[in-house]
Amino acid sequence: MSSHGGQPEEGSQAKAEAKPETQKPVEIPPLEKGIIEKITERFGDKIKFVYAKPKRIRFNVKTEDVMDFAKFLHDEVGFDQPISVAGVDYPKENIIEVVYHIGCCTKPEYTSSVFAFALRLPRDNPKTPTLIPVYRGVEYHEREAFEMLGVIFEGHPRLEKLLLPEDWADIPPLRKDFNIKGR
Amino acid sequence: MGLPPSMQVEESEEGRILTISVGPQHPGSGHFRLVVKVDGDIIVGADPDPGYVHRGEEKMCEYRNYIQNIPHLERPMIADSCGILYPFCLGVEDIANIPVPERAKYIRVILAELNRCIFELYWLGIYGIFLGHSTMFMWPMGDRELLIDLAEAATGARVTHAYFVPGGVRNDLPENFKERAIRQLDYFKHRLDQYKDIFYNNPLFLDRTKGVGVLSAQDAINLGVTGPVLRASGVKHDIRKIEPYDVYDQLDFEAYSMNSGDSYARAYIPLLEMYESINIIKQCLEKMPSGSVRTKLGPNPRGAAGESFKRVEAGRGELAYYLVSDGTPKPYRVKLSVPSFRQIPAMPHLLKGAKLADMPAIYWSLNYWPVEADR
Amino acid sequence: MATVQEFSFAEFVKSILWLTFWILVIFTLIILPIIFIVLFYVPAPEIAGIEMNPYLLLTMLVNPEIGAPLINLTLDQPLFRVMVFPGFTFAALFATAIIFVERKFLAKMQVRVGPYYAGREVFWWARSLEGLLQMLADLLKLLGKEVILPSGADKPIFWAAPVVLVIASSALIAVIPAGPGWVIADIDVGLLVVFAILGFFPLTALLASWASNSKYPFIGGLRALHQMIAYEIPLILSVLGVVILSGQLNLSKIVAAQEPYWYILLLPIGAFVFFITALAELERVPFDLPEAESEIVAGWLTEYSGMSYGLIQLASYIKLYALAGLFVTLFLGGWMGPLPLAFLGPNAPSGVDMFGVELLTTQEAVGILWFVVKTFGISVLMLLPRGINPRIRIDILLRTGWAKLIALSFINIFIALALLYLGVAGPAGPVGVISP
Repeated sequence: MSSHGGQPEEGSQAKAEAKPETQKPVEIPPLEKGIIEKITERFGDKIKFVYAKPKRIRFNVKTEDVMDFAKFLHDEVGFDQPISVAGVDYPKENIIEVVYHIGCCTKPEYTSSVFAFALRLPRDNPKTPTLIPVYRGVEYHEREAFEMLGVIFEGHPRLEKLLLPEDWADIPPLRKDFNIKGR
Repeated sequence: MGLPPSMQVEESEEGRILTISVGPQHPGSGHFRLVVKVDGDIIVGADPDPGYVHRGEEKMCEYRNYIQNIPHLERPMIADSCGILYPFCLGVEDIANIPVPERAKYIRVILAELNRCIFELYWLGIYGIFLGHSTMFMWPMGDRELLIDLAEAATGARVTHAYFVPGGVRNDLPENFKERAIRQLDYFKHRLDQYKDIFYNNPLFLDRTKGVGVLSAQDAINLGVTGPVLRASGVKHDIRKIEPYDVYDQLDFEAYSMNSGDSYARAYIPLLEMYESINIIKQCLEKMPSGSVRTKLGPNPRGAAGESFKRVEAGRGELAYYLVSDGTPKPYRVKLSVPSFRQIPAMPHLLKGAKLADMPAIYWSLNYWPVEADR
Repeated sequence: MATVQEFSFAEFVKSILWLTFWILVIFTLIILPIIFIVLFYVPAPEIAGIEMNPYLLLTMLVNPEIGAPLINLTLDQPLFRVMVFPGFTFAALFATAIIFVERKFLAKMQVRVGPYYAGREVFWWARSLEGLLQMLADLLKLLGKEVILPSGADKPIFWAAPVVLVIASSALIAVIPAGPGWVIADIDVGLLVVFAILGFFPLTALLASWASNSKYPFIGGLRALHQMIAYEIPLILSVLGVVILSGQLNLSKIVAAQEPYWYILLLPIGAFVFFITALAELERVPFDLPEAESEIVAGWLTEYSGMSYGLIQLASYIKLYALAGLFVTLFLGGWMGPLPLAFLGPNAPSGVDMFGVELLTTQEAVGILWFVVKTFGISVLMLLPRGINPRIRIDILLRTGWAKLIALSFINIFIALALLYLGVAGPAGPVGVISP
């Protein structure tokens, strides 16, 4: 892939990755392998490994374990910079996914990687503990996920409308059943 | 006589606290509301309230296919439009496996650096207004016109270029672009030297910005700030160096960082970055191969189902796109992680305990662009 | 909403007749009696041996030779001095010219053009006078704007504050001599009058901000109060050196005492401190905190619009002229030119005369010219920091004003005393070391 720097094996790996999630990729680069081993050694079956492209790793975590996972990621593994919190709505699977992307600023071998972990929450009652005690910077991201998708972050100091107007009376806009007028 | 009724005054243990809304219509804030609680001259609390220009960019992306998304995705940041489209194009190329010709990569880097300078000059100008220095507004705005002329020669539009597309760039550079660019960049470098002498060495500017709003490295990383703000606190984190995209790994440039973490450092690093941008553009103009500039795509380019996360160093910091595709020509979810939104938590953190007069100096030194943060 | 009326010739003629009727009524019933009463008590002036009568008045309009003595008589009237020169009209015109020069000067410094279009299309030969009529355009615009009263504002003070500011600024120019003998009020305590009037400004700024009933003016007014009070003290102390060396408080005599050497050569530190504190009194950049646009919109004059705003700006620039004139009077020798009068040569005209009647002597004319040139130069120097500096912060301002400038003023006083006791300068002139 030209955007990664043009090495052919990663291209094929990315193509292989493009198949559905449940298939393990052909070959994991050593750096990411070290991280994955560290995490699976600590958490074992509680988390689910999704994919590991060069410089991108993704795991799926459950809400009960997310606080421990985040603390482990921050303190032991060394990913300390919150980049973004994205909410994705999958109405077909009745799931709302909240994906946290975390980067690293301090360990030079990890700085180019982005670690993603996702919570798959039931669509009619999406609740998850907030990660502000571990990563302070997710405060406003979580507030935006709340107002755009309806995800409730327990323990968040201020779960109010951020970008939407105060008198917004409709369903959270980024859900798939909300349609822009005229489309 | 009693207090005028318009002032919301709350009695508290320390005294009276005045709530000021540095509102969306204010010469000191752009389209952004910052509710500031002031006790005398000291700020005791600040509450950022973005959302004045929220347009639902992310929702709109789901209704248009990848190519149709280009013109409206550049609007959150029209002054740096190439920067905000860059990771989108990289992400789509990743998902749909589109190769990019070598010449297109060089042109992309040139335009991205040009846009970085255009944005930094605008930012410097507005910083001048916030500090009350009208010349510091007029000179960068005037010099910005030269760079905008270059961008217009290349892309056809002054600020809203819509130039980057998945697969390359829309059209090739004009014939005399190289000579014209080198001439204008030499003059621009000469002007940057003047800025350094006249604006950055001004004793009043130093008084207003040195030691004001100090952000420690630990706080900077934990709060998630990015770009010159992060580099001013001593953290060497420049995406162009860490995770080079396109041809940045073949170019020779420096990413600066300073240790003081105050507003002066946050204002000085953009100046150094502008010097490096001139350097990068000149190198690219030398090294650029000839060839096509765009991969011809079918009418509805699509990729397999999957996701991609691409990030780029835009003028304000790290801009990242999280793209989820479900195999159709329209993206399933586009999440923009913009640097302006990430600087928001730094505002209450830095403003608490500062003087009211420091509020513009700190707020604008965080490289905040209200339209981009609202998307 | 008013509907547009169709033009009707009958209405037009009726309105003209109505206007004529009222002019005749007012003239006959009010103005003529006033003239008679005035002429009863005030003797009519004599022109060319004939006592004034209406026939002579009308003749003067077409024959200026007879009118010249009348003009000479007018120039000696105190009312002329108050209203025209060196009084209000001159100050207002000077202020307007300074506003225009400021805009053009700053524009050239900032790679811009400044006012450009106003006045360009008026006359074909006026193309090079870019924007010269801009001030007239601004005046007409301000006159036409609505003055919005904020709800809950204190009405009497809100309306009165700009007027009081103009009155106070104009009162300052009453004691400044614009030429030898050309001063409105030749008071022996002229300098004390200046300081007394300067005390009006912080108070009025605070009242104006309070009466606006809004948060931004509130903060701006408090800042204006702090700033002006903090800088009045170094202002007064820096002038003390001049008073010591000249032994006078009368401004005309201070100018005369600078005959051997101008005081800026003897007391440069005092001049410097005076200049800085004058900038702070005028709220000019870098001291324009009370009007800090990026933090508190427009400070204590946020809620003023239309002609109230115009009056505040007029007061501000008349104060600029007054303080520049004061600087010239105290430190730069007032109306004295650097060259002695004999420089003009033996064939110099003895004065400015009109048909044989001398209006101004040569010394007066040259003095006025030098005063205007010097005041203009100092005003432009006061405009300069606006293009160079950002705004200062309140704690740096107060620290500078209360600590550093007062210290410099005291050093200045010691220098003045040293010069006095060494006999270099003083009220009695250079006398040599005074023996104890």
